[in-house]
Amino acid sequence: MRTLLGGVTLAGLVGGLVMGLGIAPREMTQGNVQRIMYLHVPSVWVAYLAFAVVLVASIVYLVRRAEAADRLAHASAEVGVLFTGLTIATGSIWGKPTWGTWWTWDARLTTVSILFVMYLGYLLLRGMIDDRERGARFAAVLGIVAAFNIPLVHFSVLWWRTLHQPPSLMKPGPTMPGIIVAALLVNFAAFTLLYVYFVSRRTRVLRLEAEAEA
Amino acid sequence: MTADNWSFVFAAYGLAAVVLATYWRFLVRREKELDDASVVRRQMRQESGRPEPQARASGHPSS
Repeated sequence: MRTLLGGVTLAGLVGGLVMGLGIAPREMTQGNVQRIMYLHVPSVWVAYLAFAVVLVASIVYLVRRAEAADRLAHASAEVGVLFTGLTIATGSIWGKPTWGTWWTWDARLTTVSILFVMYLGYLLLRGMIDDRERGARFAAVLGIVAAFNIPLVHFSVLWWRTLHQPPSLMKPGPTMPGIIVAALLVNFAAFTLLYVYFVSRRTRVLRLEAEAEA
Repeated sequence: MTADNWSFVFAAYGLAAVVLATYWRFLVRREKELDDASVVRRQMRQESGRPEPQARASGHPSS
């Protein structure tokens, strides 16, 4: 089952790559550098999804003390940090030719950096506490508190004046051409599958590690 | 008309490919390592006649 999921994910990623680099048209104002969007936007979507799963799994863990929920939160946080890092890095590469700088302390970039550091802290916290039950409890609380940063990141471009552009997909007014939306949706689907695949594998690894320690 | 900046596009996609492939490989290798160790442990337990511990769905093992 997992191998099948891996195969479908890989096919989706190749499809996304073909759509993003080949089929989608060259954007008029930014040129081909806009193609980074097909990587950058799905990455941040996966990061949001991953941290939302951490929030739900952390609540379940605190209520039921289910170790499976703790493992899911741990795996999802790790994958979320990976994709947040990727979002920041690809955004920085995109920023240089379009804004003229690799980095600026604008509201979106600052809040997403805080999000990254908070979940990095979440993973470090888990590694620092020897008592696994205690570590899981503290991490669950941090997993819930850190989730409050997600809407702050998302709406930062609307609440403050930023260099970063506002959301393009769900804004009122003129929409993006259908082919660009299609390329973006293929990449959204592929990245979501990749998230599910990574989390299922990481969760199993965590269970095997727990069995080895028992 | 703006410059195409393909080098930035390839840098972003290349970086993503390396990071994601490295994590994918780490997961596959770690899983295989733990599976192999689990088989060895199971064989040792069978030889010594001890019952097999399981990771539980709820509650943590006492530390």
